[in-house]
Amino acid sequence: MLDPVNILVIDDEQIMRDGASRILSKDGWGVMTATNGQQGLEVIRNRTQEIDVILLDLMMPGMSGMEVLDHIQAINPNLLVIVITGYATVESAVEAMKKGAYDFIPKPFTPDQLRIVVRRALEKRALQKEAEFLRRERERSLRDIATEKSKIKTIIHCMGDGVLVCDSEGYVVLTNPAACRMLKLPESCLIGNLISQVNLDPELSKTIEESLKSVGLSYTSVSQELTIGESGEIFLRAHTAPVKDDQGETIGAVTVLQDISHLKELDKMKSEFIAMVTHELRAPISAVEQQLSVILNRMAGEISEKQEKLLLRAKERTKGLLALIKDLLDLSKIEAGRMVQYKEPISLQEVIQKVMDLMKAEADHKKIDLQFPTPSQDPIVHADRTSMEGIFTNLISNAIKYTPEGGRVLVTLTEEGGFAKATVSDTGIGIKKEDLPRIFDKFYRVKSTETRQIVGTGLGLSIVKSIVDAHLGSISVESEEGGGTTFTVILPKGVDQSS
Amino acid sequence: MAKKILIVDDDPDLVEAVTMILESKNYDVAAAYGGIEGLQKAKTENPDLIVLDVMMPDKDGYAVCKELKADPQLNRIPVLLLTAVVSKIPTTRYTQQMGMETEADDYIDKPVEPEVLVKRIEALLSK
Repeated sequence: MLDPVNILVIDDEQIMRDGASRILSKDGWGVMTATNGQQGLEVIRNRTQEIDVILLDLMMPGMSGMEVLDHIQAINPNLLVIVITGYATVESAVEAMKKGAYDFIPKPFTPDQLRIVVRRALEKRALQKEAEFLRRERERSLRDIATEKSKIKTIIHCMGDGVLVCDSEGYVVLTNPAACRMLKLPESCLIGNLISQVNLDPELSKTIEESLKSVGLSYTSVSQELTIGESGEIFLRAHTAPVKDDQGETIGAVTVLQDISHLKELDKMKSEFIAMVTHELRAPISAVEQQLSVILNRMAGEISEKQEKLLLRAKERTKGLLALIKDLLDLSKIEAGRMVQYKEPISLQEVIQKVMDLMKAEADHKKIDLQFPTPSQDPIVHADRTSMEGIFTNLISNAIKYTPEGGRVLVTLTEEGGFAKATVSDTGIGIKKEDLPRIFDKFYRVKSTETRQIVGTGLGLSIVKSIVDAHLGSISVESEEGGGTTFTVILPKGVDQSS
Repeated sequence: MAKKILIVDDDPDLVEAVTMILESKNYDVAAAYGGIEGLQKAKTENPDLIVLDVMMPDKDGYAVCKELKADPQLNRIPVLLLTAVVSKIPTTRYTQQMGMETEADDYIDKPVEPEVLVKRIEALLSK
């Protein structure tokens, strides 16, 4: 909505005041009048904000127009004054303009002349108002920004997670007390220094530098785990992501640090507990199986056929228990990070071929066609050899187990970009849709009439997944009930991670 | 004359079971229920072969084996190490490592099939 326009006419002549009022109010403008300078100034003082334009007669008894003009300038230099010059003298008009009048109109004037002059002044006034509005807007925005900044600063400082922000050149520009505490570095060592020179974990500074180098608009966040302190007492998880401007240019990097020491501690305790329990379980079960073997071999005297049957079944059960314990130990070792410590560049083709040779007898026994066509490439991965053998032993032996006689198991190996991709497909019983999402869970076994006869611990695939995870790879499964299953393992090709 | 075999294992049930296996094949059997006792009996019993458990509380099989092999009086006695399978996956590494780290003449996983144990013992004794 437009503000109502008000024009103040200061003139000692009644006829002029009335005439101006009549002309101007026709255009919908509000008109106020004053009969002399004193009165005019009073109105101006009281209603400065409402007055848009002042029509001021220069020739008045008492206070002259020029004097009034001086006072008006003192009250508000932005007020638009149009002087009415009774005797069309250029000198007085020029003088008034010099004193800050906006325009002048010589007497006598026609209604149209007055309108034109006033309208021009009103246009100027509109621009003034607009400028004023913008100025206030800007002030408020600046204030808002300052408030926002202070708010963000408080939030960052109160956060339990550590925050580390670098500019595009790799200088640390923002950090918080949590980050200093976790990294065991005082703020003064961080702020204003190059990230490569602040004695940060080298892996983390590498990640941040790489993040700063990233191009394109795609959002890439990197997570990694760090150990801080000489004895490794603090475990941190760091998430690093580049900050992009609207052009996709990297203008900095943000790293958020979480203290996961207590989680690590719990994890370690859990693994140690499992290891302890399994060790304690293994000895007695192992002894029982040994005793059963002795009896079954008639080394403790003759036994009847019925007794033998029962004892054979008992031995099957102890065998199953021992297998479970072995798997549990494997898992707790992988989880404790002890299993994949011996990473070296290895040929996956070699690993798979070795497992194929070991599995051949089992496949032949079930009349299963086990195939591994010679791959065109031989991807080298940086991995733990025995763990890699474990992956393929598990997957291939599963494939054979769950494929009926006369079926086929196919293993392939290819290279895709920076990754090695291996698949193990079978023509077996497949996996139901509802079982698929849980297939890598610990102790999950698909229950059906077909699988009841198959011995397993429900840990094999979760061991495989743990190993793949520990090598920063991924594993996926595709299957249809009755239509076979394909497992796909993807592993990053061998760049030495430690260098 | 029957060959004498010394069984060293802290689990009496296992000692008993292995004793039965060996006695059924007409071996003389002596038993020790810990690493330290095993070392003593190796000297006093004068066995032809030692079946040695790895996991024992007082002194483990590796340590016992090392001492046996360091003793010029005893180092000719073949040692068959009884290992509990540590895990399914790293069996290859396990055996490689253990083979290198111990001077045992052979190793066998617990629990053991009687005929396998007997075969391995025969093989070691005929060397």
